[in-house]
Amino acid sequence: MRIENHPVLDFGERKAVKFTFDGKELGGYENEPIAAALHAAGMRDISHSLVKHRPRGLYCAIGNCSSCMMVVNGESNVRICLEPLKEGMTVETQKGRGEIL
Amino acid sequence: MVKTADAVIIGGGISGAAIAYELLKRGMKDVVVIEKDYIAAGATGRCGAGIRQQWGTEMNCIFSKYSCEAFERAEEELQYEGDIEFHQGGYLMLISTESEMEQMKKNVKLQNSLGIESKLLNLEESKEIVPFLNTEGLLGCAFHQKDGHLNPFHTNQAYANAAKRLGGHIYLYTTVTGIDVENGKIKGVQTDKGYISTKIVVNAAGGYSMQIADMAGVKLPLYSERHQILVTEPVEPILEPMVMSFSLNLYCQQVPHGSFIMGQTGKNEPQDLRITSSWDFLDDMTSTITKVLPPLKNLRLLRQWAGLYNMSPDKQPIYSAVKEVEGFYVAAGYSGHGFMFGPATGTVMAELILGLEPTLPWKQLNIERFEKGELIIEPSVV
Repeated sequence: MRIENHPVLDFGERKAVKFTFDGKELGGYENEPIAAALHAAGMRDISHSLVKHRPRGLYCAIGNCSSCMMVVNGESNVRICLEPLKEGMTVETQKGRGEIL
Repeated sequence: MVKTADAVIIGGGISGAAIAYELLKRGMKDVVVIEKDYIAAGATGRCGAGIRQQWGTEMNCIFSKYSCEAFERAEEELQYEGDIEFHQGGYLMLISTESEMEQMKKNVKLQNSLGIESKLLNLEESKEIVPFLNTEGLLGCAFHQKDGHLNPFHTNQAYANAAKRLGGHIYLYTTVTGIDVENGKIKGVQTDKGYISTKIVVNAAGGYSMQIADMAGVKLPLYSERHQILVTEPVEPILEPMVMSFSLNLYCQQVPHGSFIMGQTGKNEPQDLRITSSWDFLDDMTSTITKVLPPLKNLRLLRQWAGLYNMSPDKQPIYSAVKEVEGFYVAAGYSGHGFMFGPATGTVMAELILGLEPTLPWKQLNIERFEKGELIIEPSVV
């Protein structure tokens, strides 16, 4: 779901880009948060809690809560609510706490 | 608040809580702990929380081996319902210079003679323990598997809960404002919540032990120095041991939760009880650790903080009665290893106060050693 016409905000011209999410090709707009593109594509389960593995949705959406961390271009623990979407990005659901090796 | 006590312990850190527990366990009845903040609010909760038995003096080897074995059985003995998170992934001590190598060889020999199964590793063997260790500039490592780290908050709480279970009283958010001394004897302790009559006061105030001693008219040859530490975001476990280097002056561990905790001794740390944070530390710490453990460059920092090392002239604790004031005992001056000595501190002070036979070599840690010049120099401290 996207708000195309907003009474106050003007989104201007936006460039459509393609990216992959867990291997599936999706589309979005360049430089919007990755989370916005995933939300538009109907994605609601962003991550899973570490102990009970319950689904977590988008929560704070301003980079504070660590609820939306994914593996982006191979890098773990990327907060997708902040990370700008780029053409050809690889976005993957993160399992566990992320890897640095 | 109680009106009288057999002993009042000032400080609710690992030392104060362990002393209270060990006194109660040996039959003392009314034991009170006064803590100006909350359990583990001071150096205990701020420390790197490692326990190593790889020391360079016989005394420290014995104390730390005793403490390590106490930590191993702490949950059971203290009947703690939580997890103290004791992780015995070893201490990997990096060796960078020939003189350090000589010292480590001596240390390992001494440790082995005391039943501590440490060993020297070549670089290849070191990389089996930490595969991503950058061995450039290293000559080898010393390693002991039974060393490790644990959660200082839980460990402190475990002792405090056990002390309460045995009938001890712990008063949090209570500040000692005066120590009543009459004719050279302890008479009581004044706090902001009331007065407690007692003949025994134990100064376990960590970084603030000098201020507490001043209240009893006792001068301690100690000072407190700020030490800084940081924590990163949690990631999947990759680092088993505590990594430590004397020449680089650092330690680094990954807690079971996944965060890395690391610290380094700064060059010009203030000695005025400040526990503020500095930008320099972040800069130095992160540039040094990413050379030693390169994958850590991919981590984000969460926060940094500081705590006080209570420093003594020979970097060893003072476990002592004080001759000017009867009934005033000091357990302070750990110089950065008070948490790991916690269980030993409890036992030592209980034996000292109750006049029991020493099971640990604590008699040499009396306060008179500084006047007499009988310092116990530990060669292997950060």
